[in-house]
Amino acid sequence: MGQGVLTKPILPRLRHFLAFGAPGITVYACFVLAPIVVSFGYSLTNYNPFSPPAEYVGLRNYRLLFQDPEFLLSLRVTTILTAIVVVVPNVLGLGIALLLDRRGWFYNALRTVFFTPVVLSTVVVSIIWIRLMADDGLINQALRGAGVDDPPGWLSDPAYALYSLGIIMSWQMLGFCVVVYLAGLQGVPHDLREAAAIDGAGPVARFRHITWPMLAPALTINTVVLLISAFKIYDHVQVITKGGPGAGTTATVAYNVIQTGFTANRQGYASAMAIVMLVIIAVACAVALRLLQRREVQL
Amino acid sequence: MTGERAPWARPAAALAIAVAFFVPLYVACANVFKRGSEIGPHPAAPPVPPTLDNVQAVLTRPDRLFWVSLTNSVVVTALSVALLTVLSAMLGHYLVRARGRRWPRALMLLLLAGLMIPPQVILLPITRVLETFHLMTTVQGLVLFNVGYYVPFGVFVFSGFMRTIPVELEQAAAIDGAGRWRVFWQVVFPLLRPATASVLIFLGVWIWNDFLNPLIILGPGQGTTVTTGIYRSIGQYQADFGSVFAMMFLATLPVLVFYLLLQRHFVKGLTGGATKG
Amino acid sequence: MRAARRAGAAALAVVLGLSACSVKGDPGTGTSGSGAKEITFLVFETPNLTPQVWDANIKRVTDRHPDIKVRKLVAPTQDRTAYAKQLLTSGQFPDVLVAMSPTGFAESGNLYAWTSQELKDFAYPGNGAVKGKVYQLPANSQTIPGVYYNKDLFAKAGITAPPRTYAEFLDACARLKAKGITPLVTGSGHDALGPTWAGILGTDVYAGNPRWMHDRRAGKVRFTDPGFVKGAQKLADLAAKGYIDKRDLSRDYAATQQAFLDGKGAMYAMGNWFAAAADSPQTKPKFEVGQFSWPSDDGRQVLPVFTGGGLLVNAKAKNLEAAKRFALAYQLDRTNLDQSTKNDGLIPAVKGYTPPAGGGPVFQAGYEMYRQAERARAVVPAFGFESGDDGMPAGVVDKWDAAAQDLVTGRKSPRQVAEFLENEWAKAS
Repeated sequence: MGQGVLTKPILPRLRHFLAFGAPGITVYACFVLAPIVVSFGYSLTNYNPFSPPAEYVGLRNYRLLFQDPEFLLSLRVTTILTAIVVVVPNVLGLGIALLLDRRGWFYNALRTVFFTPVVLSTVVVSIIWIRLMADDGLINQALRGAGVDDPPGWLSDPAYALYSLGIIMSWQMLGFCVVVYLAGLQGVPHDLREAAAIDGAGPVARFRHITWPMLAPALTINTVVLLISAFKIYDHVQVITKGGPGAGTTATVAYNVIQTGFTANRQGYASAMAIVMLVIIAVACAVALRLLQRREVQL
Repeated sequence: MTGERAPWARPAAALAIAVAFFVPLYVACANVFKRGSEIGPHPAAPPVPPTLDNVQAVLTRPDRLFWVSLTNSVVVTALSVALLTVLSAMLGHYLVRARGRRWPRALMLLLLAGLMIPPQVILLPITRVLETFHLMTTVQGLVLFNVGYYVPFGVFVFSGFMRTIPVELEQAAAIDGAGRWRVFWQVVFPLLRPATASVLIFLGVWIWNDFLNPLIILGPGQGTTVTTGIYRSIGQYQADFGSVFAMMFLATLPVLVFYLLLQRHFVKGLTGGATKG
Repeated sequence: MRAARRAGAAALAVVLGLSACSVKGDPGTGTSGSGAKEITFLVFETPNLTPQVWDANIKRVTDRHPDIKVRKLVAPTQDRTAYAKQLLTSGQFPDVLVAMSPTGFAESGNLYAWTSQELKDFAYPGNGAVKGKVYQLPANSQTIPGVYYNKDLFAKAGITAPPRTYAEFLDACARLKAKGITPLVTGSGHDALGPTWAGILGTDVYAGNPRWMHDRRAGKVRFTDPGFVKGAQKLADLAAKGYIDKRDLSRDYAATQQAFLDGKGAMYAMGNWFAAAADSPQTKPKFEVGQFSWPSDDGRQVLPVFTGGGLLVNAKAKNLEAAKRFALAYQLDRTNLDQSTKNDGLIPAVKGYTPPAGGGPVFQAGYEMYRQAERARAVVPAFGFESGDDGMPAGVVDKWDAAAQDLVTGRKSPRQVAEFLENEWAKAS
């Protein structure tokens, strides 16, 4: 089709674009691309609606950012949380998918159970877990009943709160991984496994050499989706811990962007934070995709 | 496969894990039908005898918080998803079928990059953009933002599916004298039904459940959506968990019914991606 | 070209369809008639301040000013100051706001400064001023905290009289703890843990220097000075000894109040608005509630009080005159004042006003304690709850709250907390 370019006049192509491409692209440009550019512009100023004249400050916000203990802590918090949310649902999801990889209503029903939290709102999930993890909630009631005198303060102890958030988010995302892995498993040809079994391969060997390689695309999808959703975690933090207990123990970068921008009103600074966040997630996604897809190709 | 050693082990293990996993959902449901005073001390007890007081309290709240939220959520979700389906199907079609390579490809990449952009990055300036168009704190503004933000996902699904449709079909229709517009709506779009289902389902659920965007863009003037309504109701009712759980239950019901009815399509939507890669 | 035209027509239809549908919230108060001056009013909901309370208060004013139509907006959380900032940032600042700190909003010209003529009916017309001007109607006085205690649990631990000195207080805590009773009920967040810290800092910082915050602004004192660090140490010690259960930080404000009402702890340092819950027939506890002021080391009475808490008006309100008129009428309406003593346990700071007789016993006792402290000149500012020039810069109060949690969990030492606050103060100003 490339050679056709010369013979085809430009007008019909433009018309095609205007009729089919332009509406979607325009909205996308107005509400996503333009704001990113504006955000970058803000990040070079000390814009604060509370002290109106915004001045150009160059890269000062970015320099300050990497000396700001609050921001560095939020990077750490986000990294830990992302690591938990990428690893835990992936691993458990694979295990459960292997367990559920059978036909019949029973397994279908269980799959439904695991997927349900995925369609729930994060606010609903957060409130359910606040009740479960409160000191007088079900978990600590059960622990006390089992003779643990001093059960942990899941959400109130800075040593636990971050991991509790990780558990909650993993619980919500687990079903997604289960379903994606199940779909992947259904793509593994049955005869292949059977042949291997006849050749005397044990279940572990069969998994390593046949099933696992075939699940590569599923692993890619799960990892990238978890990575993106973990990195922008805001809702759970806002509803459950508000960044606490104490100063910033569970404040993610996404949470700090909103806090700094909309509550502390330092919009220039918050914009710099947002841009750094965007760069990090872009790099992380690119690296993850490259690594995982290279693996897919090799197989 | 021949002879698993203990045939009951797999279903038993699966069931045990599922039950443990289900506990939070069970507690949430049980608490809807329990008296508020029972929820604190006995979170796991079954609601015997069940009471509808909590549900009734939410439905008859004098400020109609639930009904206003529900209406807003329905309007925002329906409009956003309808617009998204139309715009992203057309855009997806354009990108796959457009003559020339460089531009459509660049556009595609630009759109795919949008899949990973966190809303926090664009929310600060978006309030300015919307203000300029006098769309801040309006349903229209939120819908347009949703369309812009989720169009990459729609295009991703539609264009992926479009590649599996033979271009000859369209060429044949064009030879018969149909314009591009008619070819698309009468020939192509009906064939895209599975992709449309995926887009409707996923975007419908995401937009329904969205929290931060309506919190900031819709503001308090237009009333809340179901998620921000729930969030607001914990301010007043925290001590009365019965009402909070009832509100959550009612707000989730539509999405839950939707999910249970269309389960197969949910799975298919994910499966398409998982096997094709 | 036909295709393009049709696409244009479709887009137009969509836009028209969109603008045709808009859903309004809260129809009960939101009607906008012809010729009426509409104003928006940002409120917040708590177990005390239910939607019904707000609607009734608003209606009492609009009944007498029928030309004003009020659209009630509700903050999604109790932190209405943070929410108001968010609204300002996103261009939706309401016309009238309530019980929110004017700091920051006032300096940037977003709030209307009341004239002395408009403030003539208030008992402390200069309170909460920002650079000399009053933006928030100084509508009521709040004792933050009074210490409420559960008389049953005190009796159980063999404590016969409320403690007068800090040593007696610690002794009472020890006895309660020995009986397996949590001495102090707390939670996380400004309104749940803040009053306890305000009690400590009232006796250890403000009793010695009631102008401490002004001096900090002037750079004459520091958080790292011995007085403040000693106060921080007291809070840390209460937690370390188990008199404050750090697990209670999982509670929010409403759950904290409920915990005390349910008898889950013996003492509750709280603002006097708690009286509303303690007296209300629906929420009244089964035990009798006593109260005392937070004990100082030498037993001298110190009572932290904040006067302010009233309505504020957006300087750029479309109907500024109506907004002002509404705010003043709302604040001075006798029935509204009577109701505020009952619904929210407040002590109106309006000239010539006395609360209606026959108020609940907890409210009455708190009111007496306040009057008596006023006579004894034992009133100091309530640390962390002051407003305007009397308080910390915008944003630092949140850090002060976070610091209190860090002390309770032991994550930071008193010294570290003091340095942290010094740092945050520098960042904010």
